Amino acid sequence: MTPTGTLQVADPVLDVRGLSARYGHVEALKSADISAGKGELVAVLGPNGAGKSTLLRAIMGLIPNEGEVRFLGNSLPRRDPVGAATKGVVLVPEGRGIFGPMTVLENLELGAYKIGGDRQEMERRLTHVFELFPRVKERLKQVAGSMSGGEQQMVAVGRAMMADPKVLLLDEPSLGLAPRVTGEILETLGTLSASGLPVVLVEQKAPLALKLACRAYLLSLGRIVATINPREVKSHDELAQYYFA
Amino acid sequence: MDNMHLVLQSLISGISIGCVYGLIGIGFCVIYNASGIVNFAQGAFVMLGGMVTYVLIERFQMPYVVAALGAIVVTGFVGACVERLVVRPLWNRSAPMFVMILATLAAQIVIERLTYILVDDQPKTLPAFSDLPPIMLGGVAINFQSLWIMAGSVLIVVALGLFFKTTRTGKAMRAVSINAEAAALQGIPVSLMLTLAFVLSAMLGALAGILLTPTQYTAFNMGVPFAISGFIAAIIGGFGRPLGAFLGGIALGLIQAMAILGLGAGFKNVAALSLLLLFLFVRPSGLLGSTR
Repeated sequence: MTPTGTLQVADPVLDVRGLSARYGHVEALKSADISAGKGELVAVLGPNGAGKSTLLRAIMGLIPNEGEVRFLGNSLPRRDPVGAATKGVVLVPEGRGIFGPMTVLENLELGAYKIGGDRQEMERRLTHVFELFPRVKERLKQVAGSMSGGEQQMVAVGRAMMADPKVLLLDEPSLGLAPRVTGEILETLGTLSASGLPVVLVEQKAPLALKLACRAYLLSLGRIVATINPREVKSHDELAQYYFA
Repeated sequence: MDNMHLVLQSLISGISIGCVYGLIGIGFCVIYNASGIVNFAQGAFVMLGGMVTYVLIERFQMPYVVAALGAIVVTGFVGACVERLVVRPLWNRSAPMFVMILATLAAQIVIERLTYILVDDQPKTLPAFSDLPPIMLGGVAINFQSLWIMAGSVLIVVALGLFFKTTRTGKAMRAVSINAEAAALQGIPVSLMLTLAFVLSAMLGALAGILLTPTQYTAFNMGVPFAISGFIAAIIGGFGRPLGAFLGGIALGLIQAMAILGLGAGFKNVAALSLLLLFLFVRPSGLLGSTR
């Protein structure tokens, strides 16, 4: 483990510098620096209330923020989630954010909203999602809100992939899911990352995230207190010690 | 005319006006679903539908169909203006919902008064769509304008359903109504969808006004009573449910028609408000259950 900010990426796809955000008078995120390069899966770890979700929401411009978010070398506008998504920064939010009363197919199609009426491209992207989550293909006509939590999470990740993201952000994808389903989804994230897609994974289940991540940022009280190389974490005790330090 | 024929005649008249209430109610639902706002300028859109058609025919000698289409476009534009000039600035400042609702009421008054200044205060009417004698069905006379209203309304409801179910924009509008933040995260332009909701709602109001005016009249101040009826229809149907609003409108029209027949015209509004109270007490979520 190293002090914050010492593990630099040579050519990051997503480069966050000095990002801060507040809710009223409470500063929920304090000058956070993180980056993710091509093919990297980076984890953001920390206890409840550490500011992990706030970090992702600030990157997307969903909340007022200060600092800089650079994507492929250019600054992202401070408060423009639609613009960020259109450029290829795609967030799977906490709680999945699926459109419950709509069908699975409609959810997936909306993920590719920006391509317009290009049916050929739509079919190509759907095929890719079906390769990642074969179970989704069997449920296309089903109302998304009637699916199990795990299946909904697959739809949420599938919908994000329909946007053909250049960087994928995920906020607690394992929340409320059975271990087997969590494993299945995290395995898919590993596959995506291995194919070159930068992934930023916010996760409370640190051991699971560290298995996949090439780098992890530890957040505490809104501040990144350490950058962790998962290969250097010898035991759960060592991680726990750092967690609660 | 015996009692049975009188009742049937009233029922047909009730369904006909109920269809109009339903269309106005759907207008309320479209905006409410997109933004959570109850748009009390909806009545102004109904008034503008008939009034602009009248002005385009009388002052600009346009053919009826062209004038009606022109009125729909003009009212849609007014809807966009209400959203951009009245609702959006408050929305951007995160104004309380109550303030935004009051602002739409203010917009209604401004549109009314502008119409009064630009046209006049006299009631106007439009010719019936078909200049044909009523159809007689077993002693019950059905005039063609009522048929136009009923058929037109059903057609509009079906077209609206197809729009929301099959088109990319319609699906995006539904997504925004379900979860605006998640929609933004898919790159759906949420603010544009809000504008579109106002345009669509205004056009629906205009259509209702155009269908209605040949059977009654339009005047600068006729919007509010129809807005109230549309609002009641939306509540009866389950606020936010377009199909519910349409059914609620028909229920409201039928109750009013029965009240006029049985108790006299003075009880028309009593019946409408009693129905509203009944639903608020017994089934506040309406016929189909509200969306929020």
